[in-house]
Amino acid sequence: MLAPPPLPASASAPRAGARAAGTWLAAAAVALLALFPVLVARPYPLHMGVVLFLAVLEAAAWNLVGGIAGQYSVGHAVYFGAGAYAAVMLLERLGIAPWWGIWAAALCAVLLGLVVGTITLRLRGPYFVLASIAAAEVARLAVLHFRAFTHGAQGFVVAEPPVLRLPGLSLTFDGKRPFYYLTLALAVLAVAVNRAVLRSRLGYQLLAVREDQDAAHSLGIRLSLVKNQALAISAALTGVAGAVFAGYSRFIDPDTVFSLTDVSVPMVLYCLAGGAGTVEGPVVGALLLVPVSEALRNPRGLVSLGLLPAGSGVVGFVERHLSQAHQLVYGLLLVLIVLFAPEGVAGLLRRLLRRSRARPRPAPPPA
Amino acid sequence: MALLEIRHLSKFFGGLAANADVSFSVERGTIVGLVGPNGAGKTTLFDCVTGFHRPDRGEVRFRGIRINGLSPARVCRLGLARTWQKVRPLARLSVLDNVVVGALTRTRRVEAARDLAREELRVVGLSDRAGVAAGTLPVGERKKLELARALATGPELLLVDEVLGGLNPTESEEVVEVLLALRASGLTLLVIEHDMRAIMRISDRVVVLDSGEKLAEGTPAEVVEDREVVAAYLGEP
Repeated sequence: MLAPPPLPASASAPRAGARAAGTWLAAAAVALLALFPVLVARPYPLHMGVVLFLAVLEAAAWNLVGGIAGQYSVGHAVYFGAGAYAAVMLLERLGIAPWWGIWAAALCAVLLGLVVGTITLRLRGPYFVLASIAAAEVARLAVLHFRAFTHGAQGFVVAEPPVLRLPGLSLTFDGKRPFYYLTLALAVLAVAVNRAVLRSRLGYQLLAVREDQDAAHSLGIRLSLVKNQALAISAALTGVAGAVFAGYSRFIDPDTVFSLTDVSVPMVLYCLAGGAGTVEGPVVGALLLVPVSEALRNPRGLVSLGLLPAGSGVVGFVERHLSQAHQLVYGLLLVLIVLFAPEGVAGLLRRLLRRSRARPRPAPPPA
Repeated sequence: MALLEIRHLSKFFGGLAANADVSFSVERGTIVGLVGPNGAGKTTLFDCVTGFHRPDRGEVRFRGIRINGLSPARVCRLGLARTWQKVRPLARLSVLDNVVVGALTRTRRVEAARDLAREELRVVGLSDRAGVAAGTLPVGERKKLELARALATGPELLLVDEVLGGLNPTESEEVVEVLLALRASGLTLLVIEHDMRAIMRISDRVVVLDSGEKLAEGTPAEVVEDREVVAAYLGEP
């Protein structure tokens, strides 16, 4: 069982001043990232951006349920896969463009989330974790089984999405740049949703559920209602991530989009590594882990980014010996984080920052 | 009609009757003390009243509404809050945020809840600890936090489970004063307590449980004179 981290030195709310500074910093970072494709046209860096933003989107989506509400779902691939299949099948079977399909993907994931949540969210601790894994596995097997409808293991090769015509503007989704902006916007949205939830009534109630379900219940919090609300928002974002992934990779099959090891687990790890239950945690975690796994999976990318000289022996070595090692590296990083930074890297940084200006301060003003 | 009426309440765990045919009622604006040796069934009774256990027999009526079988959240929303003997702070939230969680049951607006929460912290004397993580509080302050958080839900009836246990005499006196002030402000309290001197001092009536059964009920003066009660506590003379 993934135990919740021990007590950090302080409570949920950082100081108002630090929070405002963080907001400005985040806005500046997003502005820079938005400018990036204008300055760099090469596809690989843009691809890295898409992968990273998708990871942030998924991690931030998971954070709502796993981080804030403390319900460690290790089966979020069920919503990712449902979103991917919903968008793709609407396009393939009914010719409905992904601009609408993406909403259908979100809706489909939410409905599935309410079904799965109603059944599994009454379980606690390790039982919920196991049930969540089972839900994703059931979905994967169902898609494999109903071949006539889903193409089974064969999957779908996704046709090029039609041009989106808006008044005064037409958007084509070819190449990396549109997906770069789309995933950047969605990642920002997901982080903003986390922030809004954490400041809302629902956020307080979810944090209470995370800390102590019985205490939360005795304080009038309807446990299954608030947990299902969190899961619905989380599933919607995850479903959208799946739909975008399908459009970007142009191919889906059950083993890819319902994968435990490639979808369900990474989003948990990003969150835990960065700092579960915080706004910045999913971002920090994805920034930390995605480059590691990408470098190991595709060392040639380092060459194309100019980080390694062409013909470097490192590329061959990594390809020969470490191409499957990202799982191992994830595992090792997670062990280190649990041992040395149980509240995640974001929490560790915050603690170091606080220590570096350790002087008596008046009690923090209420947020 | 009494605010809380417990009629023929029984709760079994396997063959053991944790509560056996217990009946009593709590009148508005009073403090009723619930005493008895360890294992007498006091906390089980609280769990039955607050929805954490479903009574096997009998019924619980609050404001005339039958509440056995309702979820803890529903019971709380009806105006019946509790504290926990084994304190349950929301450890990683600040003291203020703990109380805000309670207050959000009364209001939907976070800002309004923060104001209510500050007021309840003032009532129990925890204002200067508002920004501290609740998990770092010493036991005395945790007990006060339990009270503030339950009060923040806006109850008519507060069930207090051994809030004086583990407190030093000064803290204990402070909390007793808080309980008396709450009664003076119109709140009704049902209080489990081992501190006999305190409970006899603050209670309007006292109910004595022993081995799951009601042994005696009356004013504090009547109960301390009761021979069966003395026997339960001190053994047969």
